[in-house]
Amino acid sequence: MENPGSHGWLWWIPLLPLAGSAVAGALHLCTLRARKTDPAARGPAALAGLVACAALFGSLLLSLRGFQALRELEPESARTLLSTVWHWITVPLPAGASFQADLGLLLDPLSSTMTLVVTGVGFLIHVYSLGYMKGDPGYAKFFAFLNLFVFAMLMLVLSSSLLGVFIGWEGVGLCSYLLIGFWYEKGWPAEAGQKAFVMNRVGDACFLIGTFLLVQAFGTLDVPTIVANFPVDGSRQWQLTLAGLFLFGGCCGKSAQFPLFTWLPDAMAGPTPVSALIHAATMVTSGIYLVARLNPLYASSPGLLALIAGVGAATALIGGSTALVQRDIKKVLAYSTVSQLGYMFLGLGTGAFAAAIFHLVTHAFFKALLFLGAGSVIHGMHEEQDVHRMGGLRRHMPRTFVTFVAGAAALSGLPLLSGFFSKDEILANAFAGGGLYYVFWGVGLATAALTAFYTWRLVSLTFFGPERFDHHHVHPHESPAVMTVPLMVLALLSVAGGVLGLPPVFGVTHALADWLEPVIEPGRKILERHGHAGHLSHAAEWALLGLGSAVALFFAHRGYRAYAGGPERDAALERGRPALAGFLGGAWRFDALYDAAVVRPLRLLAAAVAVVVDQFTIDGLVNGSASAARGAGAALRRTASGYVGGYALWMGVGALLISVVWLWS
Amino acid sequence: MNVPSEHLFFLSSALFALGVLGFLVRRNVIVTLMSIELMLNAANLAFLAGSRLHSAPGRPDLQGPLFVIFVITVAAVEAAVGLALIIALYRLKQSVETDSASEMKG
Amino acid sequence: MAEILFYVLSAVALLGALGVILARSPMGSVLSLLGSFFALAVIYLLAGFQFLAAAQILVYAGAVLVLFLFVIMLLNLGQLGTRFQLSLAPLAGPRARLAVTVAVALGLVGLIVAQGAAFGAPPPVGDAGLDPLPELALGLFGRYSLPFQAISLLLLATMVAVVVLAKRQRKEDGR
Repeated sequence: MENPGSHGWLWWIPLLPLAGSAVAGALHLCTLRARKTDPAARGPAALAGLVACAALFGSLLLSLRGFQALRELEPESARTLLSTVWHWITVPLPAGASFQADLGLLLDPLSSTMTLVVTGVGFLIHVYSLGYMKGDPGYAKFFAFLNLFVFAMLMLVLSSSLLGVFIGWEGVGLCSYLLIGFWYEKGWPAEAGQKAFVMNRVGDACFLIGTFLLVQAFGTLDVPTIVANFPVDGSRQWQLTLAGLFLFGGCCGKSAQFPLFTWLPDAMAGPTPVSALIHAATMVTSGIYLVARLNPLYASSPGLLALIAGVGAATALIGGSTALVQRDIKKVLAYSTVSQLGYMFLGLGTGAFAAAIFHLVTHAFFKALLFLGAGSVIHGMHEEQDVHRMGGLRRHMPRTFVTFVAGAAALSGLPLLSGFFSKDEILANAFAGGGLYYVFWGVGLATAALTAFYTWRLVSLTFFGPERFDHHHVHPHESPAVMTVPLMVLALLSVAGGVLGLPPVFGVTHALADWLEPVIEPGRKILERHGHAGHLSHAAEWALLGLGSAVALFFAHRGYRAYAGGPERDAALERGRPALAGFLGGAWRFDALYDAAVVRPLRLLAAAVAVVVDQFTIDGLVNGSASAARGAGAALRRTASGYVGGYALWMGVGALLISVVWLWS
Repeated sequence: MNVPSEHLFFLSSALFALGVLGFLVRRNVIVTLMSIELMLNAANLAFLAGSRLHSAPGRPDLQGPLFVIFVITVAAVEAAVGLALIIALYRLKQSVETDSASEMKG
Repeated sequence: MAEILFYVLSAVALLGALGVILARSPMGSVLSLLGSFFALAVIYLLAGFQFLAAAQILVYAGAVLVLFLFVIMLLNLGQLGTRFQLSLAPLAGPRARLAVTVAVALGLVGLIVAQGAAFGAPPPVGDAGLDPLPELALGLFGRYSLPFQAISLLLLATMVAVVVLAKRQRKEDGR
């Protein structure tokens, strides 16, 4: 073990949740043992939630300390804290070189931002879960998994080496699988977890190939080294582009971009806090983080950037259009997440890495808020998730209603809220890109319209209009404070979060872009050298801001009005245009496509192998040797005739043979 | 007697072969036993012929005769036990054919 | 002279052996065997083994064959039966048996022939013969005393075994 150096305290940021996870796991096992004798026993499980929240709070404090420590470092370019504890892999290569992969943590403005988001939003969601998961038999197990997830996510964002990032990458995938299938007894959550894991694996394979290519190009996986040694003259470009392409493939899997996005809506089978934390705020943003981290790599290849922007735009459109017709409150939010992640990739694809991170942060605020609010609604409606059976809940759940509206306003990009600034910054950058990027801008703008529409459709169907639920069996009530307080904190952040990234046309500095400048600078320099202009006149910027506001307000209003009276419009759509309704409802039929093209052939192959290899060959061999033995036995049994005379003959033969052998030797 | 030793051995072999033939061919179990005695005698003869071969005047080789004494004794013992078994078999099966006791088949 | 006697006696021994195989009744087999044993005894004598010749007649002819006769008489098997009745055992036809016998015979003969010049001239026989009794006794009770004790134990065991085996079963069912 190396001396972690003076920044060894950084390690407590991921290790506290890991410890919390271990304690919670132990408490779960104690609870199981207590339940063996008394099935109704609660055991020490309740403690697990508090332990987990405390661990995460500690991580949050340390993240803040890290943020402060960075701010004290001057000049800006020196804002890096590195702590290495272990030379994990050392492979001596020919010609005196050697490949070394270390286990270390790197705190710089980008990773500091990510840790603050992860620990901050994560902490709020943990507190929320204290109330949401109360009474669940797997209470302690839930917190164990949740803390384990935070550990893996922190490893992902803090690792100094791509190898460490990959460990975190796999870890979050594992925890995602565990948490999606948390209620596996119901059957379909287990399948959803499996689907998520398998799709992620496809992405992970691409990720690995990308890292191999990077090793080939740079001889190391240490990110600071790669960034520092990045060739600025365009040498080895095809190799680097290929590496970036494969790594982006990994991002598509983890961040649910086209074509690997169908697992995210299914992941809603997990408990709502899981959807909020993993599938909105943190894990799915790993892909964006990776691209931002390796910004020189992507900046050096305009074609790759265009591809990323295109994929992002397409995904945004697919997600947004599908969310229009969903009935499950969580599915709407899930497709919305897919769509917003598409926006982030669009931002990355225009070279505006800081803008993408900005949207990541604001999205974490309002999407987590929306999911938690949905959870509150589901909780209060006794696990009802179909908005067609809700309505008028604003009277029954006032605090949930207010916070949810705040989140919805931010999501739909209503002016001056956090979502407005981050989304419009991305769209402005797209517009500035020119050429092909005009198309992407157009798609993005259309998706913004869709976003406003479906968001307010959701609000309208849930909280306004006539009450469509059965009053005898369902008594909606507000959630306890432990759940509503996090909602209120997040609502505050959703509304005011825009201050992080006010556009320069307002006359102020973009705080987040400034903060991230040391990390983004290498990529930005490469972009400038390629002539990637991306500068708009002030007039153009104001015009775009106005256009964005108008679109958001108009479509939000339309969405609200269309569904204020109830869900009849949905039924009308299904009757009038059933093909369109089916197409949109099934996420542009991607699930059906994958089922036919991938799942069915694999099942056939498995069945074929089971019959040919397992039944015929292996069983045949085993059973065949058994019957051969039996047959041989039956044949040889004829010598044991019971007649002494026959035995006498065999004795003679045997004696003869023995003498021959003995004499021969 | 100046018979060459090979002739003694040939005689022993012939007697042994006849003993084997009788052992294999006859169905009467008493005759089988007698064939065994014949074989043993052939072996005795071979031992003695060998002893005769290795003896020097004044220093006879005693291993042959000693062993033959043992063989004779054991042969007698074996004949006795065999005949007792035959009597027991006869009591059970009322026959001394080797085929009469064939229940231990398969 | 002794040589001619030897060959005559060999013929008698062989004929006796053949008689064992070919006789119709067990009684005939016993008597042929007796003749064969006598011929062998004289051959031993001619070869210089005086004590063993006597032992052969005493034990073999006088005890073992008599035992055979007793049993044959006891079980009333003296009648003439059929000759070659090969066993009914499968896979053990007459050809197989003949083949084994011939193989044995040929093998032995071959062994002898292969020795060839290893057989030297036979030694002259002194007065005491090739099995002088004092030396035999010394060997039996000296160097080979352990096999001797084992043999006596064997004899004891045999006596017990024979009595147990041949005893008339007095069972409850009154057989």
